[in-house]
Amino acid sequence: MRGVDKSFPGVHALKNVDLDVEAGDVLALLGENGAGKSTLIKVLGGAHRPDSGVIEIDGRPMEIITPQDSQRAGIGIIYQEFNLIPAMTVRENIFLGQEPGRVSIVPAGKERRRARELFDRIGVALDPDALVRDLTVAQQQIVEIAKALSLDSRIIVMDEPSAALSPREVEGLFRIVDELKSQGIGIVYVSHRLDEIFAICDHVTVLRDGTYVDSKPIGELTRDTLIELMVGRKLADEFPNRAVAKPVATDDNEVRSGLTVSNLVGGPKVRDISFNVRRGEIVALTGLVGAGRTEAARLIFGADKREAGTITLDGKELSIKSPRDAIASGICMLTEDRKGQGLILNRSVLENFGLPNLSRFTVRGLIQQKRERDAFQAYVEQLQIKVSGPKQRAGNLSGGNQQKVVLAKWLERDAEVIIFDEPTRGIDVGAKFEIYLLMRHLVEQGKAILMISSELPEVLGMADRIIVLHEGRVTGEIEDVKLATQESIMDLAVK
Amino acid sequence: MLTRSSRWMIAMSMLGLLFVTGCTPKDEESSGTGSGGAASKSDGGTAAVESRGTIGFSALTLKNPFFKIIADSMTEAGKTNGFEVLVNDAERDVNEQSKHIDNYIAQGVAAIVLNPADRIAIGPAIRKANEAGIPVFTCDLQCAAEDAKVDGHIGTDNYQGGRLAGDAMIEALGDAGGEVLVLHFKQANSCVLRVQGFTEVLAEHNKDRESGNITIVSELEGGGLTDEGFKSTSDALQAHQNLRGIFAINDPSALGAWTALKQAKKTDQVTIIGFDGQLDGKRAILEGKIYADPIQFPKQMGVVSVQNIVKYLDGEDYEKVELIPTAIYKKADAEKDPDLQKTPTPAPAPGEVSLIQTFKSPG
Amino acid sequence: MKRFIADNGSIIVLLALCAYYSVVTLGEQHPNTPAAGQEVAAAILKDSSEQVTVVVITRDTVQDRAYSEAVRAAIETGGGTVLAVVNGAPTDARLALEQVGGAFSRVDAIATNHSASGWGPLKPQKLKTTADKFPGISGIKVFKPQSYTWPSFLTRENLVNVINQNAVIAIIAIGMTLVIITAGIDLSVGSLLALCGVTTAVAIQQMAGGADAGTIGLLGACLIGTGVCTLCGIFNGVMVTWFRVPAFVVTLAMMMVARGLALIVAVQYQSALLGGGTEGTPEAVRIEAAAFGWLGNGATFGIPNPILLMLALYVLAHITMTKTSVGRYIYAVGGNPEAARLSGVPVFGVLILVYAICGAMAGLAGIVDASRFEGGRPNAGEMYELQVIAAVVVGGTSLAGGEGRIFGTLVGAMIIAVIQNGLNMAGVASYEQKCVFGGLILAAVLLDRFKRK
Repeated sequence: MRGVDKSFPGVHALKNVDLDVEAGDVLALLGENGAGKSTLIKVLGGAHRPDSGVIEIDGRPMEIITPQDSQRAGIGIIYQEFNLIPAMTVRENIFLGQEPGRVSIVPAGKERRRARELFDRIGVALDPDALVRDLTVAQQQIVEIAKALSLDSRIIVMDEPSAALSPREVEGLFRIVDELKSQGIGIVYVSHRLDEIFAICDHVTVLRDGTYVDSKPIGELTRDTLIELMVGRKLADEFPNRAVAKPVATDDNEVRSGLTVSNLVGGPKVRDISFNVRRGEIVALTGLVGAGRTEAARLIFGADKREAGTITLDGKELSIKSPRDAIASGICMLTEDRKGQGLILNRSVLENFGLPNLSRFTVRGLIQQKRERDAFQAYVEQLQIKVSGPKQRAGNLSGGNQQKVVLAKWLERDAEVIIFDEPTRGIDVGAKFEIYLLMRHLVEQGKAILMISSELPEVLGMADRIIVLHEGRVTGEIEDVKLATQESIMDLAVK
Repeated sequence: MLTRSSRWMIAMSMLGLLFVTGCTPKDEESSGTGSGGAASKSDGGTAAVESRGTIGFSALTLKNPFFKIIADSMTEAGKTNGFEVLVNDAERDVNEQSKHIDNYIAQGVAAIVLNPADRIAIGPAIRKANEAGIPVFTCDLQCAAEDAKVDGHIGTDNYQGGRLAGDAMIEALGDAGGEVLVLHFKQANSCVLRVQGFTEVLAEHNKDRESGNITIVSELEGGGLTDEGFKSTSDALQAHQNLRGIFAINDPSALGAWTALKQAKKTDQVTIIGFDGQLDGKRAILEGKIYADPIQFPKQMGVVSVQNIVKYLDGEDYEKVELIPTAIYKKADAEKDPDLQKTPTPAPAPGEVSLIQTFKSPG
Repeated sequence: MKRFIADNGSIIVLLALCAYYSVVTLGEQHPNTPAAGQEVAAAILKDSSEQVTVVVITRDTVQDRAYSEAVRAAIETGGGTVLAVVNGAPTDARLALEQVGGAFSRVDAIATNHSASGWGPLKPQKLKTTADKFPGISGIKVFKPQSYTWPSFLTRENLVNVINQNAVIAIIAIGMTLVIITAGIDLSVGSLLALCGVTTAVAIQQMAGGADAGTIGLLGACLIGTGVCTLCGIFNGVMVTWFRVPAFVVTLAMMMVARGLALIVAVQYQSALLGGGTEGTPEAVRIEAAAFGWLGNGATFGIPNPILLMLALYVLAHITMTKTSVGRYIYAVGGNPEAARLSGVPVFGVLILVYAICGAMAGLAGIVDASRFEGGRPNAGEMYELQVIAAVVVGGTSLAGGEGRIFGTLVGAMIIAVIQNGLNMAGVASYEQKCVFGGLILAAVLLDRFKRK
């Protein structure tokens, strides 16, 4: 790709961007949120039309205007949100749109054989007749990859492929990437996880604010220099220092004891979970995907129905039947899925911010919009949220800024217990640090934070205490984080 | 290559075209609506047909050919008398009809004609026309609202028509008598009168009779529509195996009844009497599907309505309520009917003809 | 510029339509005011040198009376004689002319207005034949006010008509807008309108004392009617939330049930009126209380009451949607129910409230309808649900939920109203009207898409 330019109303999303992928090469496309990665991918995929610039494959210029053009040019895109039809089988999904004729009978046997061949190529075993909705996220990803291969793709673009995968599944993904590489397929790999970049990528291209920054072989880079390229300045540390003062609460101080959860049971995944989060500390809830972390948090927050167990805050038992009750009692939750659960994308950031706080701004039944706007503006400055104004649609913000809006909404609520579910998923390095800093700041103010994270470095870097879950039960608690290692946590997680 | 926005422009302009073609021809007519006299004095010369303004006609429903015929004949008669006739379709909704009347008042029409969609609820709208000094004429259906002044009515003598239908039924069933189904449309008062006339004739017939009574075993809603008439008749045939006659309050529901009979293979057992004498109905009589119709004269209604308006405006006397009697119409009439000669009809199946014969000479 | 068009597309369309109809309905207007009467009198006085004798002929309406009175006064102050003032029908005009023609030897002029000038007895030919028998009017001349050119669409009377006629639809559209913003749909509104009308009518006749019903009795009856509809709306809401039945299905069922109930109540009532022996017919339940007609047919400060009610409800709804928590919650639930729930919005409560409001609005519309037609019509409001949905969609509310403006709906309702009014005035048959409306709805949705790009 040469000199690609793309503008949206009010935003110059891509400015003269270049991108080179060679056959059998894994290129990491890096940049903070809003740097233009997604836009670039969409241009490649034919979802957006570039204002200028050329795309060449094997030296031949290609005109890519529709997704079909992109497919024909041999580009396969695996978006973060999969384009699969849940109610259809693996085989049908792979060959969707490739049926021989409009009315002819689909040769099921032939397709099944071809599907198996494709799976063999990437070294996995998957039943071609399974329904997509019964598959795990990792398996669905494999279906997407197989689909791209079935179209004879020479270049495969993966947008945050590891975001929803467990560590073990990520390893499987790496194997597949290696396999594809050895078959001469060029791969564009987009991820925020620097460890992964160093593990599998050959080259790195960095974008910042829609402009091309640099391309380098991975060998010439270190973690720090890479981050520097991305954020445009030096970053001292990935995680902020822990508070000098020890947590303000102790067990014998009942009133300040924070959140206590005992014998929590609910749904198929939470069997029996007990733990507590004292004021002034960050407790990480970790474990493998499916261990019941998010599910436990949702039970505490009242989002799902609790079958048994008690929740107390500062020694007082809470009756939580809905998120509304939880919010009223001072518990709030930043969900993992910001787009689906955290924000109302087609409403303004101001409305999203105000939603749980309207009673504060309401006088005689009417919302005092100036007061609301002023409150929001204060957070925009404090959290450095990049918005064009309070009327901007939440859906038009980047991941980091969306997370900040969600955070602002709960900070205004002045909750005592804040549950962060994957607080930095899909958020770039620079914004990550700001969010970490904020979490630290909150516990210093005496809040209790429960953090759910699959990223062990994050758990080790941020948590004061670690609770490990396995199959809906607590399998271990690490009191002194300094003694913990990724191995010791995994050990508890698979027990 | 098209840019995205130009594609949108094309889509929008195509819709615009659809919109314009939908109304352009009539708009030209409307711009001619503001007809009428010249300046301050109008004692000058006279034209052949002097324009006398607009008549607003709010029809009950133009989906039923009967009212379309009234509208067409009124337009025709209006033209020869110097009126432009503005026809609107109320689609059986009195609310819609009130809108039409409001519009007529705003436009300052010379007179209003309507088939009231609701004989009581139309009252306030007619009163508004009264207050605006515009004469109101009803046609086919009457208005029953109090203190709403109607300046003239022309309609069918539905009660008399119902009696004729009763006579035809007696003639068809003969001394054997039998069970009869009525396909009603209770919403319309005209139909209530038809059924009343029909029922009374049968009651008189049955009065001093030991055997051979003709009894109405069921009165079902036929909606005045072919499909509803079909459904109701099918159900009635299940319940009453020995049904011998059906009286349907109009032609569409009578045709629905015939389809039901055909499906049940009972066309030779059951006689249908319809009402209206629309072209479809007449054709069905010619084909032997319907035994007889008391026919109405919609053309005459349209013409007489215009004549009454002319007389009203000229300050002459006219019949304030005029009911046109119906006439019975049978196969023999159909064979001589010039209306049916014009359109070739398929020869009736022999079986169907013979069944009519057997009915005509019952034991 | 582009942005402005996209944001205010529907208003621009409405204005364009008004401009279009103003051009095509350009035609002669015939003044009928006292001022016009004075002008006519002046013309008559100028026309004749001697003491002029005049007959004034108009219809029997309030306006015409004022007009003829003005003519009479002006003629008399100008030294002329008014022989007769006729306010009536053409027959009265004929009789009056015959009378003056016989009684007086010289009648100079007839002062009339446009409507009456079209009457037969005032036509030159007819006047000539009358003059043969009654020679007094042989030299008579007809005077009427000077006409002027103006679009008949753009008269106050017509514009008030357009709004008044569609106030009922616009009122229901408020409730429908809320429901559609929550990504729902309510097909039962037309039937609920009828149910409310019939219930209110029966309540007035049976409980409030019929013709003698007082204000409190009437209000009570209205409350019963709207209450029934609100309950039906709550039922819809409960089904949609707790039982997770799709709104389309629930309200489709309610549409049938409510229509059936309205017909049953009406038929039973008619049957009871006839003594209970025979089955009744599904006719309107007549409301005898004269005061009840005030809402539907009365006017305050010269503006019809349904328009005032409609505007008041729109202002109230607008404030609710933009300035209160409930409004924010409704948008939030429509935009993303799960995110709203996790933000502490009582989603079920909001949905039930929205369906209840929709039912109540249909009920209020039913009362306006019953008042307008002085009876509860069991067949009222058929197919209104589709007209209302069309108004909401044309007004820019997205069927996907989460977006829409209350006043957008009002504009949407008025666009449909103006088009219908224009087509009706032009005498376009309902067949073509249907095509136009179908196209319109499609165009509105395309506009919406265009806006999103």
